[in-house]
Amino acid sequence: MHPHRRKRLFNIILVLLFSTSGIGLILYSLNTNLDYFFTPTELKNINIQEDKRIKIGGMVLENSVVREQSKVIFTVTDYKNYIEVVYEGIVPDLFKEGSGVVALGFMQNETFYAQEVLAKHDENYMPPNLNINNDN
Amino acid sequence: MIIEISHFLSILATGLFLLVGLISFITTDTKYTANLISRTFSHGFLLLLVSFIIYIWLAITDNFSVQYIANHSNTELPVFYKISSIWSAHEGSMFLWIIFIALWGFIFNINIKNDEVLKPKSIGVISLILVGFLLFLLLTSNPFEIILPIAPLNGADINPVLQDPALAIHPPTLYLGYVGFVIPFACAISFLINGNPDVRWEKLVQKWSVLAWVFLTIGITLGSWWAYYELGWGGYWFWDPVENVALMPWLAATAFLHSLSVSIKSYHLRVWTILLSISVFSLSLFGAFIVRSGIIDSVHSFANDPDRGLYLLMFIGIILIISLSLFILRFSMIRPIGNIKRFSKESFISINNIFFGSLIFSVMLGVTYPLVYEYLFDQKISVGAPFYNAIFIPIVLIASLFLFLSVDSKWSRNLNFNFFRSPMIVSIILSIASVIVLIYFFQTNNLTFLISVYVGLLIIFRYCIEIFNSFYFKKFINPFSAIAHLALGLLLLSISFNSLLSTERALSIRLDSIEEYKDLKIYFKDIKVVKNSNHDSIKALFFIENSRGNIVELSPEKRRYRTRGQITTETAIHISPLRDIYITIGDQLDNGNWVVNVQLNYFIRWIWFSGCLMAMAGIVLIFSKRKV
Amino acid sequence: MKFLFKSIVLLLPLAFIAMFYILLTDEDAYPGTDYKTFDIPKFQLENLENTKLIDNDEIKGSFILNVWASWCITCRVEHPFLMNLKNQGIKIIGLNYKDERSDAIEWLDKYGNPYEITVHDLKGSLALDLGVTGAPETFLVSNGKVVAHYQGEVNDAIWSNVFLPIIKEKGMF
Repeated sequence: MHPHRRKRLFNIILVLLFSTSGIGLILYSLNTNLDYFFTPTELKNINIQEDKRIKIGGMVLENSVVREQSKVIFTVTDYKNYIEVVYEGIVPDLFKEGSGVVALGFMQNETFYAQEVLAKHDENYMPPNLNINNDN
Repeated sequence: MIIEISHFLSILATGLFLLVGLISFITTDTKYTANLISRTFSHGFLLLLVSFIIYIWLAITDNFSVQYIANHSNTELPVFYKISSIWSAHEGSMFLWIIFIALWGFIFNINIKNDEVLKPKSIGVISLILVGFLLFLLLTSNPFEIILPIAPLNGADINPVLQDPALAIHPPTLYLGYVGFVIPFACAISFLINGNPDVRWEKLVQKWSVLAWVFLTIGITLGSWWAYYELGWGGYWFWDPVENVALMPWLAATAFLHSLSVSIKSYHLRVWTILLSISVFSLSLFGAFIVRSGIIDSVHSFANDPDRGLYLLMFIGIILIISLSLFILRFSMIRPIGNIKRFSKESFISINNIFFGSLIFSVMLGVTYPLVYEYLFDQKISVGAPFYNAIFIPIVLIASLFLFLSVDSKWSRNLNFNFFRSPMIVSIILSIASVIVLIYFFQTNNLTFLISVYVGLLIIFRYCIEIFNSFYFKKFINPFSAIAHLALGLLLLSISFNSLLSTERALSIRLDSIEEYKDLKIYFKDIKVVKNSNHDSIKALFFIENSRGNIVELSPEKRRYRTRGQITTETAIHISPLRDIYITIGDQLDNGNWVVNVQLNYFIRWIWFSGCLMAMAGIVLIFSKRKV
Repeated sequence: MKFLFKSIVLLLPLAFIAMFYILLTDEDAYPGTDYKTFDIPKFQLENLENTKLIDNDEIKGSFILNVWASWCITCRVEHPFLMNLKNQGIKIIGLNYKDERSDAIEWLDKYGNPYEITVHDLKGSLALDLGVTGAPETFLVSNGKVVAHYQGEVNDAIWSNVFLPIIKEKGMF
């Protein structure tokens, strides 16, 4: 092999090595930092580690909102299953009973401790994935 | 009737732009055709401008027979918001977007002489892009549609969240930035068609690109500031998909400007420069696609419409196929001549390009991965701040370290590592000393914080020495680079301090009582209901005393708008150089207490100041006489 | 190497565009939409307001059939939009689903009545024949034939993307 060629081959290998390891690192950190989204029903059927940050979405059950000091406790439902959510802080403007909500936080002993509670800036917002099937 | 004139003029303009495009691509370049193209383009622009001015006038005079105006404006609105209501929704903002492309094209057209080789084809490319967008406007999102049979009397109420001065000027600024990159894109295409490697398109587009970058920088900073005080969450950046699609063109544009400066000096990095010019423009279009197709749910996105999305996607596809094929065809022409010296400025900038490329790639991944994942596995996921922090913090810090090393580097020459005589060692010592003071002062061992502060300080000290040298020893300094990089150092510092020091707490507080939080005594003085013209509001009054005994009054509000029943939170913010006291009021508890959210946001003003400083640097370059 | 670079430069963005094309034209873009065409099943039920019997002959022509109930929260969210449609002159027929008559009438009095006729389907028999799974659901009926069915809240976006195209195509209303 010509030294010139060898240098070229070396460069190519170097570029490939760097780019694959770079992309690999990015993908790895993506994979460890994903927030999965669940509806209350989906959540009932799987086990979530307590330290795994997840999102839950659903409707705020009517007459379920309780305020204790600076905490807000409410129930999120897809009208099949129910999850109690505890949140410390001020709920967003569009948060109300009977409307859609998305919360980000951790699941601990059947209770969801929310770090963030979101309601979209649109009156017509429905949480995704929620086929309301409230056939009682 | 008048609206039909406006509609007709824009159709006519479309025709003229199509004509310009055809002339420039099927005729050979002669003096005659160059003049013809230039003149026809200007006429097209003027027609479009008149059409837009008529449209603004219709909005000001409350002409609600126009459906779009009826749906987005109201007789009660002040004139300023009547005008800004034009870009408060999809159709009108698209119209504005098009006007801006045409405006950039027009200013370029009258500023560049007709005998510039690249001009006719550049104008042709801009015209064809305009035709594409005008057809999109007229066919899928017509703002000129008329309401039959009877127009509503007062119009609709526009979303109160959008009735805000920052929001009224934030989209136009951002759009000016986005579409400004049509100039370098068009010139790059024209250069590739032309096929003569000795034509220096890079010199032609530098100031235009910097100007567009300035608008983009200001637009993003304004958006961050708006979100801070209006949404009531108190942060400056949320990694919202729509913020991300604005960030990608900015990253690409910044890399483009760096790469451009190399290609101007020598023939190096031309492949990068051309690819980046194509990326910036297509990422801007991609942003428009994401926001307007409704493919992503976001605070900022417009209503769902897959047809519009499909049109824009095809449009981006066509632009990419044509420009990239051209690029491949001419690849041998723009291939680098000779090697770059390993420790030269060129080499540092090409490393910088790789860093920026990785950042863009990561943001793109963060935006698109949830969509793909949901499609494939039917499971919703989202990518939030943790991912972006994990990527951005290390890459930005390493890139900044390289920046620090590169200050001493020279064009086309190896860096002379002379540690002990160089200002480098001075900055290193100063930064280490400052970090030790900080460790002592804040009692922190937060490594991310310390490293970011260290790197930020390195850059600041290094450039301060540079500026000092240029004043006292008349050493050459590139003012654009110095100011912009100082701003970067400042940004790193302010973000680090902000994330280390900022705190928040939701307090439950009784009327006429005092709560303490950190060094603050918060006295809840009063709360009352105030009736205003279009909303009722609950207005609280707090007296807040800090440790030095200074008292400030803050009155956060909760508003309920009558026509829509929408509730908004008005934050009350006390601004001081070091920190903001940021208060929002929540609900009343059963025991009569109120929930009040108190945030102490440190150095947040400095973050936006850094953004403005960066933009300032660009303005300095545009007005500087000397070639940079 | 050169060839590899060139093909990556061209193919990567195109693959990207193709990916978005697939995402955008995904049939589930509006989940809950069904374009199956079928006749309205035979039924005989009471009118909600005056308990008169209604059958297929009473609801002819083209209209929107909206399944609702007073216990359904999303129906209340959807309600202003239906009022809006009614004001545009669009004929809406209500199918009150598994609901107490008094509750339903009270609901309509309180919020307004967007329906020309409301059929009271206490047992959910017609709803079952129509393939209703819950409330709200909305059917587009053209000359006695169901041409579109949407499960969930109808809003501006759903209206203009799911229903309006068919309405324009068939020249209804």
